[in-house]
Amino acid sequence: MGEVELSCLAYVKMYLHGCLFPRCSVNGLLLSSSPAGGAVCVTDCVPLLHSHLPLAPITQLGLTQVDVWCAQTQQRIVGYYQANACVSDNSPTPCALKIADKIAEQCNNAVLLMIDGGKMSPDYRVPPIVMYERKDTRWTLKDKHTIMLRQWEETREIANQLLDSGDHSLLVDFDSHLDDITRDWTNQKLNAKIAELASPANVCTWMSRVEK
Amino acid sequence: TSVQTDWRVNVLIIVLTEMRDKLRKWREDNHRNSEQIVDVGEELINEHASKLGDDIWIIYEQVMIAALDCSRDDLAWTCLQELKRQFPGSQRVKRLAGMRLEALEKYEDASKQYDSILQDDPTNTAARKRKISILKAQGKSAEAIRELNEYLEQFVGDQEAWHELSELYINEHDYGKAAFCLEELMMTNPHNHLYCEQYAEVKYTQGGLENLELSRKYFAQALKLNNRNMRALFGLYMSASHIAASPKVNATVKKANVKYATWATNQINRAYQVSYARCLL
Repeated sequence: MGEVELSCLAYVKMYLHGCLFPRCSVNGLLLSSSPAGGAVCVTDCVPLLHSHLPLAPITQLGLTQVDVWCAQTQQRIVGYYQANACVSDNSPTPCALKIADKIAEQCNNAVLLMIDGGKMSPDYRVPPIVMYERKDTRWTLKDKHTIMLRQWEETREIANQLLDSGDHSLLVDFDSHLDDITRDWTNQKLNAKIAELASPANVCTWMSRVEK
Repeated sequence: TSVQTDWRVNVLIIVLTEMRDKLRKWREDNHRNSEQIVDVGEELINEHASKLGDDIWIIYEQVMIAALDCSRDDLAWTCLQELKRQFPGSQRVKRLAGMRLEALEKYEDASKQYDSILQDDPTNTAARKRKISILKAQGKSAEAIRELNEYLEQFVGDQEAWHELSELYINEHDYGKAAFCLEELMMTNPHNHLYCEQYAEVKYTQGGLENLELSRKYFAQALKLNNRNMRALFGLYMSASHIAASPKVNATVKKANVKYATWATNQINRAYQVSYARCLL
């Protein structure tokens, strides 16, 4: 199957979602603003739940709302991510497979991404993620060489900075939105912070720090 | 001058009282805001231990547990040593030592620790529940469920245990049994809107017309108990809509459910309008 590219924005938010709820399983949707066909470019993500992942109502509600938002913003749902509470086991749960199946119905090269909790340390040399793609009717492990995360070190630095500054608490998932509907599950504020940190000026500062 | 010193001492007392009250409130509400507890508690312990009187011991316990939650073994160890010194041979302190072993993933040693507590005191519920937590941490869901069921046969009034069991069943997709646990909780806590709403979610997930109707009823009940429960509101909308759309219902039922769904939609829209207005302020 094809290549998958994961943007800095999508990775950082997924990672922070896991960090924000370290004792829970968390999940979310992967989005793309690129047109269908060719490589899958995951340009953004929407964190969904941190409780009762297998239960249907809120998952359905989240999927519907994200669908509507995507239509309004020229994005598509291209995948699903999950991080299990039990870090020793990062295999997709039945509910992960179910949701991924549903997404695959609408999107040919949908991806299922599991975050490997056991590998989430600040200086980990490779992204702590495992990706699956659909071959026939089964989800199979994707060849690592077809997964691209441009500027991994900068991305990792951004995630670490946001954790250190406590800004990861800015992240709003759909669950949190339902607890307080004034909170924005599209995370515009956090997106802006990430964009600022990813700007060329900031990147130069780190590279020089890294080189020292 | 003595006036200046008095003023400074007064400020210190106010600050200490505030910190102590915060910790007490978090204890009473059983908040798991471990990072905050470590922040406030560490300072209190390090700088002002002598001024806390007998409160210090419960604070050591609270801070130790929070420290374990934040991987601060250094702080947890300090607290544990103080507690061991003050309460030698205490079962309660033994349990804390066990929790530290759990945090270090030394599950065998932790289990032995709890077993030794249970040898002296077979009714020690805390030790039994910690053993079940170990099973959960190791991903041994089936065993954890079995042990928890056995525990609940003896300690049938333990709400926390019933809720934990419902969560374990949900994760195993055993919705029937999860519903049973939530029914127990609703019986003993009839005013708790969260249990109603969770029960409704489980019923909805089970699917089928009968379960959908039950789910709608319990979403409605949750709303009666708390009319700001957004999950219940959305749940009411979704369950009523599905029932109305079902080919198996007669015209009367269909009409009623369309009414419920419409009502829910209006409430949802209103809630969002209010929230937007609040954002603009």
